[in-house]
Amino acid sequence: MKILRISAKGFKNCADGFYMDFIAKSKKTSEDKEYELLEIDDELFVYSTVGIVGKNASGKTSALELLDWCYDILSSFRLSGKGGNYQGVSLEILFYEEGYLYKYSVELEDSETLEDRAIFKNQQLFRKQYYKTRMKQILTEDWKEKCYPGGEVPEDFSIVFFVLKKSAVREVYYDSSMENEKGYLIMFRFMDIAKLDAGFLAKVIRIFDDNITDLRQVDESDYLLTYQGRERAFSDRELYRFLSSGTTKGMNLYILAAISLRMGFDLIVDEIENHFHKTLVENLIMLYKDKQVNRKNATLYFSTHYCELLDLFHRSDNIWITHAKGKGTINNMYETFGIRTELLKSRKFYQNAFDTAVNYEALMDLKKDLMR
Amino acid sequence: MKYLIMCEGANEKKIIELLLGNGRLRVEEDDLLGRIVYHARQIGMSPMVMGQLRIYGGDVEIWRIGDKQTDQLRIPPEFRKQIKKVTKYCTLPELEILLVLSEKKFREYEKRKSQKRPKAFAKENIAFHGRKYKGDTDFYEAYYGRDIDKLVAAIREYKQRNHSHKNEEHYLSEILKD
Repeated sequence: MKILRISAKGFKNCADGFYMDFIAKSKKTSEDKEYELLEIDDELFVYSTVGIVGKNASGKTSALELLDWCYDILSSFRLSGKGGNYQGVSLEILFYEEGYLYKYSVELEDSETLEDRAIFKNQQLFRKQYYKTRMKQILTEDWKEKCYPGGEVPEDFSIVFFVLKKSAVREVYYDSSMENEKGYLIMFRFMDIAKLDAGFLAKVIRIFDDNITDLRQVDESDYLLTYQGRERAFSDRELYRFLSSGTTKGMNLYILAAISLRMGFDLIVDEIENHFHKTLVENLIMLYKDKQVNRKNATLYFSTHYCELLDLFHRSDNIWITHAKGKGTINNMYETFGIRTELLKSRKFYQNAFDTAVNYEALMDLKKDLMR
Repeated sequence: MKYLIMCEGANEKKIIELLLGNGRLRVEEDDLLGRIVYHARQIGMSPMVMGQLRIYGGDVEIWRIGDKQTDQLRIPPEFRKQIKKVTKYCTLPELEILLVLSEKKFREYEKRKSQKRPKAFAKENIAFHGRKYKGDTDFYEAYYGRDIDKLVAAIREYKQRNHSHKNEEHYLSEILKD
């Protein structure tokens, strides 16, 4: 299953009609097919990596959260634990699954009885067979075949179940909530699912701190760490205090990425550069572009403030730029700005080609006060 | 020191990967920049190659794999100190000459080479298990994937038969393990 397009109305501070699509639009060179694109069906290409950039408070996180909501619906057929505020949100999701294209739309409401759980109203689900000869019509409105068999379903349950059948991990959203002591527990749970052993974890940790040679889970909140050759017991809280924030995030994120690559689910990372050496971020992005590592078509979606990371992209249609003038909007670098692929994206950012520059006047205004 | 293998096309990349995967190259994965072979014509046009060069930071020798490779390799200033040597390894006039040799159709090709390039000749005359060659990468995997000796033999035979390489144009046989 791959998401091809999402759009929303009434979602957080996003403008109505806020959308992102993930089907390759610009020319596909053979090098792009090697590194930037994933062929999920004959001539149907999505991206190995998708980057979202923009100023602070421009809506990057909202864009990723929207994607996470859509993935949650497609993964567990429910939507919960997102802090409420489902009321008045409409979503439309286009996705691909085993030779068919699907369009699912739903209106969400807050539940009066189920805490922090969305109620699904006016659900519709259409499908059409994928033909490479009809590539240009993929996103157009010739959806005729309804594919919901009818009948009652629980009010908090999505009818995409009738297509995808089994709940599964189809995406993981890595956000700051995983950067605390409970992050280790989640990491070890995922390691169990993917059958990764302590030896693999040791290899990951070595990237971030070569004093550590082993980390093992004793129970849900206790760990054994081998540091400078000496084994020590830690509670999760103690471990969190002991390890550097870079090691904790690096370990959690790299393990999740490894599992995503191994199992083929997508990974969403907000502010990918947080706590990280730039080289390690670049390496992570390149792992998704390397088909010898990314053999199951996993996609990495990330937001960043470091426009230099986008120089790792040969294409520009997999880069989205957020703006917040009133309501949040998002624009595709290729469709809206027509940037030539051979140009360094970072240079264009510093030239303010995308209207993303830091407000110089505001900086100087502050400096003026500091100089008094 | 690491080797950066830059293949000009997906088919060249497949051929090198098959040789590498079967232990027939004189380098191993550990010797390669980023442990992989790249599909890249120019460094500055390949974010993957540039990214790996930056991450590694040490000395690099480049092997360019392709046919004529008339375009000069441009080394971006930031990598000039890092790249110690560039060597071109070719199959002339096109990679498909290896398929022609493997199919024992070299004489037939020689007779028609004034009208047909190897690619066109291969498309007309070469098939494997009922599947015609269409210039696709999967064909090389199917054709040589289970018979790497056939590929090695074609590369060595090419060296014996072809004497048209210029000085700077090395033979693929030179990167084979003895």
